[in-house]
Amino acid sequence: MGDEILRVGHLGKTFGNNVVLRDIDFTVSKGDVTSIIGSSGSGKSTLLRCINLLETPTCGEILYHGVPINGKDVNASEYRTHVGMVFQTFNLFNNLSVLKNCVIGQTKVLKKNKEESIAHAVTYLEKVGMAPYINAKPHQLSGGQKQRVAIARALAMDPEVLLFDEPTSALDPETVGEVLAVMRSLAREGMTMIVVTHEMAFARDVSNHVVFMSEGIICEEGTPKEIFESPKNARTQEFLARFTQN
Amino acid sequence: MTSSLPTDFLGRIIYLITNYGSSFLRGAGVTIAIAVVGTVIGCLIGFVVGITQTIPIHANDSKLKKFLLKIVNAILKIYVEVFRGTPMIVQAMFIYYGALMYLQISMGMWIAAFFIVSINTGAYMAETVRGGIISVDLGQTEGAKAIGMNHFQTMLYVVFPQTLRNIIPQIGNNLIINIKDSSVLSVIGTVELFYAAKQTAGAFYWYFESMTVAMLVYLAMTLITSFLLRKWEKKLDGAASFDLATTDTLAHTSGLLRGPTRRNGGHRHGR
Ligand SMILES: Nc1ncnc2c1ncn2[C@@H]1O[C@H](COP(=O)(O)OP(=O)(O)OP(=O)(O)O)[C@@H](O)[C@H]1O
Ligand SMILES: [Mg+2]
Repeated sequence: MGDEILRVGHLGKTFGNNVVLRDIDFTVSKGDVTSIIGSSGSGKSTLLRCINLLETPTCGEILYHGVPINGKDVNASEYRTHVGMVFQTFNLFNNLSVLKNCVIGQTKVLKKNKEESIAHAVTYLEKVGMAPYINAKPHQLSGGQKQRVAIARALAMDPEVLLFDEPTSALDPETVGEVLAVMRSLAREGMTMIVVTHEMAFARDVSNHVVFMSEGIICEEGTPKEIFESPKNARTQEFLARFTQN
Repeated sequence: MTSSLPTDFLGRIIYLITNYGSSFLRGAGVTIAIAVVGTVIGCLIGFVVGITQTIPIHANDSKLKKFLLKIVNAILKIYVEVFRGTPMIVQAMFIYYGALMYLQISMGMWIAAFFIVSINTGAYMAETVRGGIISVDLGQTEGAKAIGMNHFQTMLYVVFPQTLRNIIPQIGNNLIINIKDSSVLSVIGTVELFYAAKQTAGAFYWYFESMTVAMLVYLAMTLITSFLLRKWEKKLDGAASFDLATTDTLAHTSGLLRGPTRRNGGHRHGR
């Protein structure tokens, strides 16, 4: 529990008069794999987007290594190079090839030289099994392939934490496995990850910390064993019961 | 004049082409020059205006920045509405004579033509660019932000290239429109194709014959232009298929590779 990376404290978010997040507290330490589960509309994506500053929190704070990052004079772009994000809809750059998708952040944002960036990108593309496709454009790939490239793109920035927002929800059942396999291997290698997911098997087997959200609050959190084997909160029980039924 | 002048339609056309061909051609050259330069400068204006209009305002931006952006955007909006909402022929007279009478500036045929066509095209392109930027999926912007790009980098490397590709048909449209509509500049004495045709027509009272030649030259210019534009678009789209990088180093180290999925049969394998 030593190396704390992120601490979210009393975080709140409202859209107009719609309170989407209330008093969210949790911490992420080095090597943690945190799964965020909960029913649709409970605020999971909003929480993840707040952590990456794609949404501005209404109140509360987010500390990155003890430093608040949701203040006025914080360089959000610089912060995001340390906290990467993988989206449900991939969001690969449609105008760039697979390789360039993974290189452009390194050269333009991190200002690394081209050769080094390409080598680095290829390393991660190999890792996700997409190296043969370096010349392809995103529209020429299947969903699972796109998502693996998106993961390589995020990894190529050498982030300290990687956020995943339902990375397999837009995929065909057959391709879900290839993306989960990549994520499992990242977890094994000690990558710090926060994963919003409906894949209960992944949450149970891969993560060391599970957060259950309902209606904008954290109802219950704990180890996968605690949450999946002896949930204390009635809503958690109800939610998990629905999953084990079907 | 003399009795040697032809009296039939075809004869007159041939006469016009052989004796006045060079003045038609010179006019056509001026028309093309005005259309191309006006479209290029107009596009640049349109890009600047369209991009400025889509700069996002954040809640925690400084008051000064918010204020300046508001003022600039208001001015740009007026510019766009005025030049899209009035005929170019009237704008031409308005600007040319306005400059001449009240500013004592005689613009000369070229400057006046470039100026009027450019700002006119700029007003149209501004809206096209703005629409093109807005229509790029928000996910593209978020993907760029998520790897740490700032607004400028996001626009330059991700949004703008996609906008450009989407609006090329509109740029082409504007070029073709400018080839035709530069004819209105004859009212301020620009010697382009229509002016040349009218002069020739007036000399013999052969209006129909002279305009026939003008019609054909205009049509040739617009057809060639749209052909070239379509070629350019094809080239920009790149190859429909891609080569798999199946060099040993790449293929064998990828543990998860299941082999390529053929999707539309267009993928070429190996080298
Ligand atoms: N930009 C927005 N403006 C207004 N309301 C929003 C916005 N984004 C999200 N919301 C609302 O916030 C609530 C939580 O949405 P969120 O996307 O975070 O849920 P979620 O838990 O990720 O759901 P899902 O599992 O379906 O992805 C929803 O009621 C949604 O309508
Ligand atoms: Mg969601």
